[in-house]
Amino acid sequence: MIAKDAYKRYVEENSPKSPMWRSMIAAFVVGGLICMAGQGVHDGIAAIFPQMAEEEVGAWTTVVMILFGAFFTAVGVYDKLGHFAGGGSIIPITGFANSVVSPAMEYNREGIFFGICAKMFVIAGPIIVLGIVASVLVGIIGLFL
Amino acid sequence: MEIFLVYLKVFAVGGALCALGQLLINKTKMSSARILVSFMLLGVLLEITGAFDYIREFANAGVTVPITGFGSTLAKGALEGAKEDGLFGAVTGGLKAASAGLASVIFFGFVFALIFRSRSKKI
Amino acid sequence: MKKGRQSFILDRPVYFRSSCTIVGPKESEGNYGGLFDMVLRDDRWGEKSYEKAESKMHRKAVEGALAKSGLSAEDIDFILAGDLLNEISASNLAMRHFKVPFLGLYNACSTFTEAVLLGSLLIEAGAAGAVCCSTSSHFASAERQYRYPLELGNQRTPTSQWTVTGAGASVLTATRPTMAEREAGEEKFAEYLGETAAEERENCGKLKKLAKNCAGKYRPDYAVSWRRGEGGRKCAVRVVGGTFGRVVDLGIDDESNMGGAMAPAAADTLLAHFEDTGATASDYDAIYTGDLGRFGKQALEYLLSTQDVDLGDRYHDCGAGFYTPEQQTFQGGSGAGCVNVTFNADILRRMERGELKRVLVLATGALLNKDTPLQKETIPGISHAFVVEAEEIAEEE
Repeated sequence: MIAKDAYKRYVEENSPKSPMWRSMIAAFVVGGLICMAGQGVHDGIAAIFPQMAEEEVGAWTTVVMILFGAFFTAVGVYDKLGHFAGGGSIIPITGFANSVVSPAMEYNREGIFFGICAKMFVIAGPIIVLGIVASVLVGIIGLFL
Repeated sequence: MEIFLVYLKVFAVGGALCALGQLLINKTKMSSARILVSFMLLGVLLEITGAFDYIREFANAGVTVPITGFGSTLAKGALEGAKEDGLFGAVTGGLKAASAGLASVIFFGFVFALIFRSRSKKI
Repeated sequence: MKKGRQSFILDRPVYFRSSCTIVGPKESEGNYGGLFDMVLRDDRWGEKSYEKAESKMHRKAVEGALAKSGLSAEDIDFILAGDLLNEISASNLAMRHFKVPFLGLYNACSTFTEAVLLGSLLIEAGAAGAVCCSTSSHFASAERQYRYPLELGNQRTPTSQWTVTGAGASVLTATRPTMAEREAGEEKFAEYLGETAAEERENCGKLKKLAKNCAGKYRPDYAVSWRRGEGGRKCAVRVVGGTFGRVVDLGIDDESNMGGAMAPAAADTLLAHFEDTGATASDYDAIYTGDLGRFGKQALEYLLSTQDVDLGDRYHDCGAGFYTPEQQTFQGGSGAGCVNVTFNADILRRMERGELKRVLVLATGALLNKDTPLQKETIPGISHAFVVEAEEIAEEE
């Protein structure tokens, strides 16, 4: 039959591709809106607690956005948003929450121990591990600056 | 009027980051975990070069709400820790600064997984 | 009798005596909607997990096919079954309910044709008088095992396929079923549906909260319309032979492009079949591949065109035709249940009505698990083919 690389080339050239512009516009709009919601949360917290330090407001904003992401995942909305927006709902911090909550929910039938707790990081694990490794390396570099 | 401009900048920069991510997905078929990791590392990189502060001044949540903000928090915490507490701070600083996000995501994940279950899809 | 390198022709015919299909809600809205024996309104079927639901579907499909055959479990000599879950657990767990010797099979999505081929060989050899062949797949359980959690907000790529939520079973026998036996079987099946419905109602009563979810919706329309004699059956369908496939790998490593990975296996088996049996494409009224999907179908046609084989209009793909374009499944259906429910609900019945005389069914499977792509393995494919023929039953029988 046909040679391996010839077939591979055929598949690469002929398999259907993602609609480039439509998907990027959807990602742009949804991602932008989520960031605006984040800014809204930030400004709201700053208005309610005027004495709060800027860093603390930022931390609270993250917590609230994660709560939103987790909640909309739990009620089954976030996957539909992701189906539409792709990168627009993956890259904001709500997408990070989604990548932790969705496997936790998926595996809750296997129990709390080996289901929820063990499987919670099947997708977000690399983000946390690499993030912490990077931060330690950055800190050690920081010692010499 | 000014507040309008702030939100417009947030929308534009946040949207642009997400569109860039979508471009990566379309071009390289990266999974969502890989996309998240690359953008987080981008945040770390921007923070150590000092560029992140300028972008944040311009775009606010447009760059802190995307996962780049998480990377920047980690790197910033590590740098500050290194400055204040030496080696101990360099190791603990990043996680300390990111603890709010990590603790909340684990807590909410656990609680929601106890209450809800995943549903099958139709599209 | 062995024929050529990979094929065989049965010396004694083996008949499809009965079949039963169960599908989920999305499938019932697809192109074959209305042809299935049972349709679930909720694809968890009142169970705690989708894996349990799949196992229940598998069990009910086998029970339904047994009821329709008019045989009891003692008359069945073997059950050949498989599915896509780890260690074929849906079949294993379902088989606890049958006191029948069980042969577990796994060839991914081509398990159904493998089961039919092996089952007919067992019957031909005299080792069995009647066997039951069943497979199942479930979108939600396959998604979690092979891909991502259901609630993860990512996009499926345009080359991806949608795992069919469906289970089907066929009973094969050495003797040709008479019309009277078929009538009796349909009666018994209607009775069985009544029992299942009653059982479901009782379960719902126990768990009022789940009542909305667990009332499976039964549509035994086909049996009813057949008894009225509308487009009634006049043929019996028999297996005449088949070709076992080899594992073929042309180096496709994209696990979301199964059609591309499986098409070479289908081409290999098809060419081997033509060479071994001397048949050509025009000897068949229809040729069905399992679940190559729209792109895989195109890739197979391309591969065959390099060998100067043209299948023409008689070539269909069960997966590509399973869902309507509005259902947004990209390439169409896939899964061990796809070719099974399509064959049992549509192809078999059209043959029984005499619309198709001689059909080649070529199910394809992608042999990967979640870890092999991570270990940088490419995706091998396999395909097994069987040939079925319709044989007219005289009125007086």
